[in-house]
Amino acid sequence: MIRLLCLVGLLVVLLASPAAAHDVKAGSDLRIAQTIAGAELTLVIKATTRVPGPLRVEVIGFPSAPTLDLRLRSVTDGRVVTGTVAPGRPAQLRVEETGPHELTVGAGGESAVIPFRVLVDRGSGWEFLIYGGLFVAGLLLVGGLLTGAFNRRGRSAFVVTAVAAAGLAVAALIVILDPWLPARSPDGAEPRPTDSVIGRPYVQRVVTMVPAAPAAGEEFVARVELFDGSTGRPVDDLTIHHEAMAHLVVTSEDGRYFRHVHPLRTAPGRLEVRLRADRPGRYLTYVELERTDSGGQLLTGSFTVTGSAKPTASSDPALQDAAATGTVTVTPAAPQAGRAATVEVATSGTPRPWLGMAGHLIVRGADGEFLGHVHEMGTPGSRLRFTFSFPAPGRYLAWAQYATDRGITTVPFTVEVPR
Amino acid sequence: MKQVKGLRLLILGGLVAVVAAAFVIARTSGPDPVTTTGTRYAVTVTADRSAVDIRVDRGEADTVIVAAVMTTMGHAVPEVTARKAAPGHFVAEGDLFLMNGAWELSVRLAGRSGEETLTLNTLVTD
Repeated sequence: MIRLLCLVGLLVVLLASPAAAHDVKAGSDLRIAQTIAGAELTLVIKATTRVPGPLRVEVIGFPSAPTLDLRLRSVTDGRVVTGTVAPGRPAQLRVEETGPHELTVGAGGESAVIPFRVLVDRGSGWEFLIYGGLFVAGLLLVGGLLTGAFNRRGRSAFVVTAVAAAGLAVAALIVILDPWLPARSPDGAEPRPTDSVIGRPYVQRVVTMVPAAPAAGEEFVARVELFDGSTGRPVDDLTIHHEAMAHLVVTSEDGRYFRHVHPLRTAPGRLEVRLRADRPGRYLTYVELERTDSGGQLLTGSFTVTGSAKPTASSDPALQDAAATGTVTVTPAAPQAGRAATVEVATSGTPRPWLGMAGHLIVRGADGEFLGHVHEMGTPGSRLRFTFSFPAPGRYLAWAQYATDRGITTVPFTVEVPR
Repeated sequence: MKQVKGLRLLILGGLVAVVAAAFVIARTSGPDPVTTTGTRYAVTVTADRSAVDIRVDRGEADTVIVAAVMTTMGHAVPEVTARKAAPGHFVAEGDLFLMNGAWELSVRLAGRSGEETLTLNTLVTD
């Protein structure tokens, strides 16, 4: 009997559907970083447990955020509600049903359309077996008592006891196996098969600037259009990856210009962000994103800024060696290629979480062929510690980033990895 | 002794039957209608392996063209023009789906209400 039970348990475990890696589930907030109207902010769509019911939207500025106009539209029935949100002033919108929705966020003449699903958990679906088993057992135990009292023959009492025991055993078995049993998808979830996740094709990108050759000192739009590598159709199934639909890193070839921004989804498969560069020259772009049910991808591109340099008071300084910064320590001082090195950054102020982490380290090869993005893993105090293996000898440009109440601090430095 | 053996068998049989039945029920799902609303049209789409049924809930459409993509596999199939079965009711037939699974449907509608493409996800089973 024990063998048979083990076999049943094993079958259930093997056939159960795996958890989707990047679904937004009921009970968890949706946090999306956006660069809009010159501000870096995180939009928080709070989890809702009741539909119809309220949907709360908050915004966190780094360090500040403008008032955002919100327009929530149900893709199912087209119902629209509007509101505004600002830091410390959350918006209370209302959802009438579960399923796909679009939240349009507007500020300063820019807008983003954020698709998301409102999900409400329906429970495991196995509860009826637990409660059913207990109900049958309870009912039959009473019946057993009555049978025992009025019937002297043991046969009926035996059957009643046996069925009651079976009910209890089913309830207990389901309670034990519950973590491995296939869960019912929540209300409003995307229709999808319950079998294993197989990933999605790679993304092809087209990076364009509007205008095509931006002039130094003038604002331009960096536009990234995403296409499916297999079908050629726009890719519009980006999952939230480190609290953003996409992370765009733009650096000048010499590394003095560095921006880590979070473009706005302006149309299916299209991401845009406004930028400004002070100096002419070639700039490199890196887009970090992740499709639903897939791993992360890095898409690269480049563009040229024309005209003559328009230095401003906040022009970016030249990068210096880590040791010369006074705030960055690399251990060992001359890292070996392929071996883990530790990069420690002394922070100014207490870091607060940004993009889900206390700190970020972006490392670029001097020629731009390599880009790495490392996370701080929870060092106590006012230091950030990163562990990173520089892949090959050479010169690397690096930018450590963290957020405090004063906004986002970027610490640029270089690391030389000897041969 | 015989009674104890019978009790064991009864419990075991009950357990296996209930768990197996519940497991089969939990994993079985059929095509569900999906309603999507755009700015000009609203449609309710029911897709199975052989046909896609499109009911235009809002807007006046003369032609409806369906394109199907299996996003996970990167499969795309030729567009199919849906047959007008009744006013506001269209049926697309043909080899739209190569296999069972999650498909993304792009429904392009044109008519007095203008032109619009609505995209929705559906689960196709036999």
